[in-house]
This record gives sequence, structure tokens and C-alpha cells, in this order.
Amino acid sequence: MFEFLFNPTFQSWILQGLLLTVEITMFGVLMGLGLGTLLAIGDIYGKKPIKIAIATYVEIFRGSPLFVQLFLAVYTVPAILNVQIDHAILAFLVFGLNSAGYQKGYMKGAIETIMGDQTEASLSVGLSKIQTLRHVILPQAYRIVIPSWTNEFCSLTKSTATLAFVGFLDLVGAGRSILINNMQIMPVWIVIAIIYLAWITGFSKIMDIIYEKEKIPGIELSMQS
Amino acid sequence: MTDLVMEAKHVYKKFGKESTKVKKIGTQTCVATEQIVEAVKDVSIQIRKGDIKLIFGPSGSGKSTFLRCMAMLEIPDKGEIYLRDECLTRPGVDLNKARAKIGFVFQHIYLFRHLTALGNVELALRQVLKLPKEEAYKRALAALADVKVTDCVNKYPSQMSGGQAQRVGIARAIARDPEIILLDEPTSALDPELTGEVIDTLRDLAKQGTTMVIVSHEMPFAREVAEEMIFYDEGTVVETGPPPLFFNAPNTDRAKKFMTRIINRTTRE
Repeated sequence: MFEFLFNPTFQSWILQGLLLTVEITMFGVLMGLGLGTLLAIGDIYGKKPIKIAIATYVEIFRGSPLFVQLFLAVYTVPAILNVQIDHAILAFLVFGLNSAGYQKGYMKGAIETIMGDQTEASLSVGLSKIQTLRHVILPQAYRIVIPSWTNEFCSLTKSTATLAFVGFLDLVGAGRSILINNMQIMPVWIVIAIIYLAWITGFSKIMDIIYEKEKIPGIELSMQS
Repeated sequence: MTDLVMEAKHVYKKFGKESTKVKKIGTQTCVATEQIVEAVKDVSIQIRKGDIKLIFGPSGSGKSTFLRCMAMLEIPDKGEIYLRDECLTRPGVDLNKARAKIGFVFQHIYLFRHLTALGNVELALRQVLKLPKEEAYKRALAALADVKVTDCVNKYPSQMSGGQAQRVGIARAIARDPEIILLDEPTSALDPELTGEVIDTLRDLAKQGTTMVIVSHEMPFAREVAEEMIFYDEGTVVETGPPPLFFNAPNTDRAKKFMTRIINRTTRE
């Protein structure tokens, strides 16, 4: 039943698929964190036009299916602009931009829960607004946001399944390719599911350890992943 | 005089906007008016080197707002704040630099929650005064020793008692060697048995000649250390004078009433 697992070609497909899934998730979550932080800061401290632009961005990336975003980015946008861009680059960017749409919300929530009194205390000792963000607000916000970040990681990992439908060999893509050669539908998808499960569980555990280690007494979030 | 450390001239600060909204609900007409709260109405005060001034008065009268205006944590609508020769209310003044020279102690302490006691004191020394690591560490330790919390050096705010946390707050304010320290009800958020240790710390500071403006209702302490007491009510200074004046016979009725109430309360405890 599971003999396809011993086929070297299938093995390499699965491995490649896993690698792409892992790479694109990691990139997406990190880019999303950086961009999401900037968006959150812009939304909190920025002027009205900036706030509107950020809200529009967030609604677009949060309100439409990732698959549609991916499809447009890979096929439509290069066609309209009449340029040739590596599909992989576009796919990576879409995951980062999409994740930023969600992570902006997490960061904004975290910043807002701590900014009031902590900002005042920070200004009172002579720190500038930027120093306040860097040394007082963000170090606390990142610790609070770790559990949401773990959730984002899980959901983004599973979203990579859409990559198979725009021609990438991710885990689901690997599963599909194996199916074309071997009609064992159930076992193939079970194996693929187990790989997702193992990777997500393992990584979440690592994040939990980081959260516990980084946790500062007094800065805790009732919400746990 | 040259030893004038800080001066507030005709400071005015209001909150809210006056607005009237008329709403028709069925046949009834509702008029909602939002009132302006004038927290500080034309207050002037001069503080010389080594002065200890105590501001007291009913809660909600705007004492804290005035103190926060002095620290430029709240920008006055009108009036001027001077720190030495520098006018802080003029546009274009580097407020961060100015605030670095003013120590502020909060009623609700507001320690940086992600930093230890040492980290709380060190942060401004490193980032504002740009001291080298070694020196910042030494000065932070010295400030923590001054307020007698050396046993909390590596503790986080949530692991300290209220009294310890407030003393760390004071250490954070004094470590930069500010020109003046403003304290906003430093003991009123603490349990009665913890206020003593904070008062002791303030007494030590007073002995060292620290220039301080304290909003507080700790009357025995006021009597002991304050040169001048300022009775503040409804956004203005009602009466000022040395402690004996207030404890014996204040001139104004309002001050008299307030003193009677507060002294009765203290003696009952």
C-alpha cells in the first residue's frame, strides 16, 4: 500500500515539496512580521491618508482568497506589465504580503495594549518616540505576539497547498504528481497529511518553548495558541 | 535670581471640546452638551534649587495635570514653562532633551515591564545620556542603592512589592541627575504599610537637597520636609504658604475645610 514511499523519484518529489513549503512559509512569516510591524506602526501613529492606505491594503490581502492573489501575481500581473519575472519570486512575495495583512492586526493589538503608560514612562526619562518604540514598545509587543505568530505560521503552512495549482511542486504538488503515476489515493494523501502534521507540530512546539523562554513575568497573554 | 530651576508662567490646560448636539428621538428633543474641563487655569510657580514644594488638594482638581504640564508630558494650551533659561513651550524645542533633565515619578509607577530593576534605570543612561555600558551599570546600581532596593536589582516589576517598585521608579528618575524631580502622588497607589518605605526614600532625597515638587497628601511628611505647601483646587492655586500656616490657620475657607478633613482622617488612622 505504501510501497510508493520507496520509489526514489517519489521520495525526491516529496522532499522537494516539503522544502518549498518550509521555505515559502518561513519567508512569508518573516516578511509578514517585518512588513506587518511597519503597517501596525503606520496605522497607530500615522496620519489619516496613511491609515486609509493601510486599511485598504489589509482588506485586499485579507479579504480575497490567497489562491486568487497567487494566480493574479503569477499569471496576470506579469502579462499586464509585460515583464518576465521568476514565478517563485512572485509566489514568495505574495505569501509575505498576505501574511503582513494578518500580522499587522496582531502587532497593532499587542502595541495598543502596552503603549499608553509605557510610552509615557519612556518619554519621561527622555527617550524619543522612535527610541520608545525600539526599546520599550516593540520588545514587549513581540513577546505578546508570539502565540498569534505560531497560529499564523500554521495557517500559512497549510495555505502553501495552493502553490500546486499554479504549477509549483510543493507538498500537495508532490502528492498530485505521485497520484498521476500511482493510483493509491488514500495512502498518498495520508502520507502528505502526516508530513504537514509533523512539521507543524514540531515547529509549534519550538515556538512554545521560545514563548516560555522569552516570557517576562508580568507580560502575559491570556490567549494561548 | 540665578538659582531658579524651573518656572511655570500662566499655564493653562483644558480638556475636551465644547460642543452641543441636538438629537430628536421621536417627539422628544435631547440636547447633549460636552463641557470643557479646565484642569489648569493660569497657574504660575517658581522653583529654586533645593526647594521642596508640596501640592495638595481635592482629587480631580487638576494637580496631576499641572505637574504633567511641567514635565511637558502634557503640552499646555497657554503659558510658558521654563527649565533654567530654556523655554520648553516654545515650538521647536527638543523636548526629549528637556525631559531628560526632569525626573518624573508616576502615581501608578509605570516601570518598564520587560526590564529588570537594573534595566529600568539603565535604559535612559544608555540611550539618552549615551553612557558607556560600564558607567551606566555603575550609576544605575548607585541609584538603586540610594533608594535601598539592591535586593531587587535583577527582579522584574511584577516580582516586586509596590513599595519596592515605586522606589525603583524613583531610582529611574534620579539616576540621570535631573535638575528637578516631579512626583505625582508617589504613595497613593500603595498599601498603607508600604508608603512608609517610599516616604523614607523621599526623606533621604530631601536631606540631600534634591529639588522636588510633590503632589501628595502625606501631611506629616509635608510638615517635616516642605518649605512651601500649595493648596490647589478647581484648576488654580488657592493658597500657598509654609506648612505651619496650613496646620495652624489657613487664610482661605476652602483650605481650612480641606485641612480639617485631612487631619481628622490622619489622626483617626
